[in-house]
Amino acid sequence: MVIERILIFLLALIGFTAIVGAKNIIKKVFGLNILNAAVVLLYILEGSRIGDQAPILGKGVTNMVDPVPQALMLTAIVIGVCVTALALALAVRLYKATGSLEIDTINERLRSEH
Amino acid sequence: MKRTLFIIKITFTLLVLALAIFPVILSSHPWPEASRDYLYEHALTDTGAVNTVSSIYLGYRAMDTLGETLVLLVSITGTMGILINLGRESEEEEAVSFSLAPEKRPTNAQRTHLLEVVSSKLGPVVLLFGFYVMLYGHISPGGGFQGGVIVASAIVFLALGTETQTKLTNTNVLGRIEALSFLVLIVAATSGVFFESGFFGNPIKSGSSLSANFIILLNIIIGLKVGTSIAVMCIAMMGGRRGH
Repeated sequence: MVIERILIFLLALIGFTAIVGAKNIIKKVFGLNILNAAVVLLYILEGSRIGDQAPILGKGVTNMVDPVPQALMLTAIVIGVCVTALALALAVRLYKATGSLEIDTINERLRSEH
Repeated sequence: MKRTLFIIKITFTLLVLALAIFPVILSSHPWPEASRDYLYEHALTDTGAVNTVSSIYLGYRAMDTLGETLVLLVSITGTMGILINLGRESEEEEAVSFSLAPEKRPTNAQRTHLLEVVSSKLGPVVLLFGFYVMLYGHISPGGGFQGGVIVASAIVFLALGTETQTKLTNTNVLGRIEALSFLVLIVAATSGVFFESGFFGNPIKSGSSLSANFIILLNIIIGLKVGTSIAVMCIAMMGGRRGH
């Protein structure tokens, strides 16, 4: 049980490193996605602590997991897709305006224009 | 020097973040069982869906789903608004794209035989599977959102293929399907008002064998909405606005 949590923790740190440290905008968007995946996995893991069967009622289902985190994470995944799409569209726009995806180069070129 | 400073900054930030989220992730606080037990007892009779995840997001928390589709709608609007005027002045940059329509594509350099042969034939199969996941969302793993994403990937397959004679990859058609499904969603949500069950309430009396039909209807509508909107975004990002 602890090893999954440590892996999720590392996943969150990887995503955060990409958001803060990467110079490329596309890599930053990937980092957002990885952080989102870490949060989703954490919720699913927490919800699955009190059971071991899929939350689909039927014969033999007596000890199902908590379906509430799963339903919440459905929302989180869709919002993650929306955020990714919008961020990528903005990245395309920045690339067309400045010809680069590196934030330092973009900063330089935008500053030299004004 | 600058590089070292950067690495030190990143490490410090990560350490602070690790201290903040480590207790959250490693907490061994017992998970409450009340909601699970309540849903185990009542979900089937309240909403008619065997899949309790479906019964939450289309029954108990259907309002949340409406907000979610609104977020999706706003995101699509923003993305299309940003993307729609791009690429007009720099057509030569897109010449290397392998995803354009055949008549706009000057070279087939990046299109492998795999892409040529497989994608347009795989499209209909994936589309069928997407509708299966959508229609059986109330009794098996799946549902509107999952099926919708599979439908979107099927439409992307169709758009990548060469010899597809389908209107499904036309962004105008997809946009109309999306708008229509959102309208039907609002109408279906309001229909509960006239049957004394409230906004987003199930108009069919709970407990009857037909009450799952409302969940199926909402699953189909949401699947169509999600599928078409994500497909529109993907096709716009591929530069293949074939409707124009």
